[in-house]
Amino acid sequence: MVNYDIQVYTQMCTGCLRCQLVCSDLYTKAFNPSEARIQVITSGADCSIHFTEACNECGVCVDHCFHGALHKIKREAEK
Amino acid sequence: MTAGGFAGSVLYVDLTHGKIEKGPLDLALAEQFIGGFGLTVKLAYDTIKPGTEALSPGNPIIFGAGPLVGTNLPSTSRVYVVTKLPTSGTIGWCGGGGVNFGYLLKNAGYDHVVIEGRADRPVYLKIIDDEVEICDAGFLWGRGVEQTCEALWEKFGRPTGVISIGQAGENLVPFSMAFIDRLSTLGRGGFGAVMGSKNLKGIMVKGSRGIKVADRKRYKTLSETFLQTIRDYPYLKEWQDLGLVKSFPTMIPEETYKRMKKRRVACVSCPIGCKDVVEIPDGDFQGLLKCTSSVLNLYTPVLYGFKDYRESIRCMATLDSYGLDMFEFFGVMGLAKALADHGLISKDSLDTEIIIDSLQSMEIWARKISLREGLGHILAEGFNGIFMEFGQEAKKFAPPLVKGMHPYAGPGCAISWDLFGTMELGQVLDPRGPHVGSGGSPTYFARRPLEVFPRHLTRMGAPKEAIERVLPGLESPDQKQELRVGRLLTYSHRWFSTLGCLGICARAAINRFYNASLCAEFYEAVTGIKTDLPDLRKRIDRVWTLLRMANVREGLDRKAEALPEKWFEAPGFKDYVTEKPLDRRESEQMIEDYYEECGWDRKTGVPTAQVLKELDLTED
Repeated sequence: MVNYDIQVYTQMCTGCLRCQLVCSDLYTKAFNPSEARIQVITSGADCSIHFTEACNECGVCVDHCFHGALHKIKREAEK
Repeated sequence: MTAGGFAGSVLYVDLTHGKIEKGPLDLALAEQFIGGFGLTVKLAYDTIKPGTEALSPGNPIIFGAGPLVGTNLPSTSRVYVVTKLPTSGTIGWCGGGGVNFGYLLKNAGYDHVVIEGRADRPVYLKIIDDEVEICDAGFLWGRGVEQTCEALWEKFGRPTGVISIGQAGENLVPFSMAFIDRLSTLGRGGFGAVMGSKNLKGIMVKGSRGIKVADRKRYKTLSETFLQTIRDYPYLKEWQDLGLVKSFPTMIPEETYKRMKKRRVACVSCPIGCKDVVEIPDGDFQGLLKCTSSVLNLYTPVLYGFKDYRESIRCMATLDSYGLDMFEFFGVMGLAKALADHGLISKDSLDTEIIIDSLQSMEIWARKISLREGLGHILAEGFNGIFMEFGQEAKKFAPPLVKGMHPYAGPGCAISWDLFGTMELGQVLDPRGPHVGSGGSPTYFARRPLEVFPRHLTRMGAPKEAIERVLPGLESPDQKQELRVGRLLTYSHRWFSTLGCLGICARAAINRFYNASLCAEFYEAVTGIKTDLPDLRKRIDRVWTLLRMANVREGLDRKAEALPEKWFEAPGFKDYVTEKPLDRRESEQMIEDYYEECGWDRKTGVPTAQVLKELDLTED
């Protein structure tokens, strides 16, 4: 089980879809952004990012984000 | 069976008869011509009938996206078009950052689209995987580029890739362009008019098939190492923050740029991003949001005299909406003003004064040209149309012209650059004519020492013996050191062709990380087609030579590639190394060097029988 949350900074997203590309490749063995477990939509100055129910927070999308739109934030130890 | 990387199909659309067919990609042909730009050239060569008029139904439009497009290799989104262009009259190519269009075309299952004929009403082409339809575009006709794009996004949702034209393209203005996702420009030389002549307002595409690579293990190793190189690049963040402003820091003050920047936009797969969404922060146009291929483009009117950058942005928003080529527009307006000042254009026909540095005047003339109103109908025909209307005397007031177009770099041009390097010669020798980014090489940056050139030549794929021809004397301290710009340009063109065939972005921010050997490795890993550097070189030579043949077939000759006389008049161009004024004889030698290095006849520029045989281009 992962010990981090994925934090999204939509204002940093460029719409490059590197996250969707790598996610789809990992889970479908093909670069198919429509099958990715993270979905990014940019429109002019706006951007939305959401994760599908299938997302297991593996974090590969974060590892491939070059623009600082996705971050792994370590969970605090439960008290 | 489909090789990796390729989507596997070619879409054929006949607008005249409303026919749509899907055919398998010929993999043997793909191997010979690599894919992307290369295979687009081959399909164009086979489809365009010699002598076809650019704006006739018989002129086909061929789109292509290379085998790397759709993968996650960095900045592999490029989209290409080859067609006969109305301004230059050549078989020209148009290339643009694919934003969302490139990967979605591939994901829909198509490497290429061949569009022929002319629809009997305004239409757009709808491509959603196997569902391909020629649709009524009555609700889009008369709208601008951005409005058209937004309307299709509203109708089909996101993500949808859109290529659209504005009113200038609809009205066959030979300096109109098409735009990808209303950001990337496609086609100086009049591609917008070619689409307009077919009543084709736009193309929308959605795809969901996915792209597979042939050798996953090798791909993973190569791509991870490559991505780490980019991550480790010390200037990465600067490029990401500033985009192309980093290349031209004096053009836009960094503080101004940061005030208006709303978002960095990247084409799919690009780890850097160079496209911009900006918002005018204050003044009369406060709040105007503009999406652009680069914020630098928005400053083009400043190069022609605009004093206020906010008015410049507003002007570019207008030109982009009509789908007008900014350089050609300002060149044409400059000529029109000179003709008016000298009485060749009568005051009666000028209901609006031509004031080049006035937003109000330029917006009115952009409308008149795009909608062909009054004198705008004549100006809409570009330089050639103006010469036909006002006679030969008009020519002496014209800026330097190359293949009928207004070059953007050089004396008397938007960027009054005076050193004659590959970018400047490339404006003349590229079949499509003058264009930004023509013939890139280290000569992009003034006065770089010759010692840096061998590394760049090697990166671009030039063999060792060629480096000695490009830089005679470099290895001999006693010998005079020279830079043969014509020979260097050969390898710059080949490098740009390499990137185009694979689908890699040509912009300096990213192409700096690639080299020809790596391109061969990536191509082999993705497609499974055995390819080493010599193989790649040969295929690239084949592509570039076939494009030459397509134009030789159209009558392109040495005369059409003469440098404009005005480039030799003071203050003209200077030699890149010595900075002495460039003379005609030296420039002729550069052209001959270029032809010879390409394996073409040194005097005529026609590919020799020997080179055609070596490249397997001999007609059966």
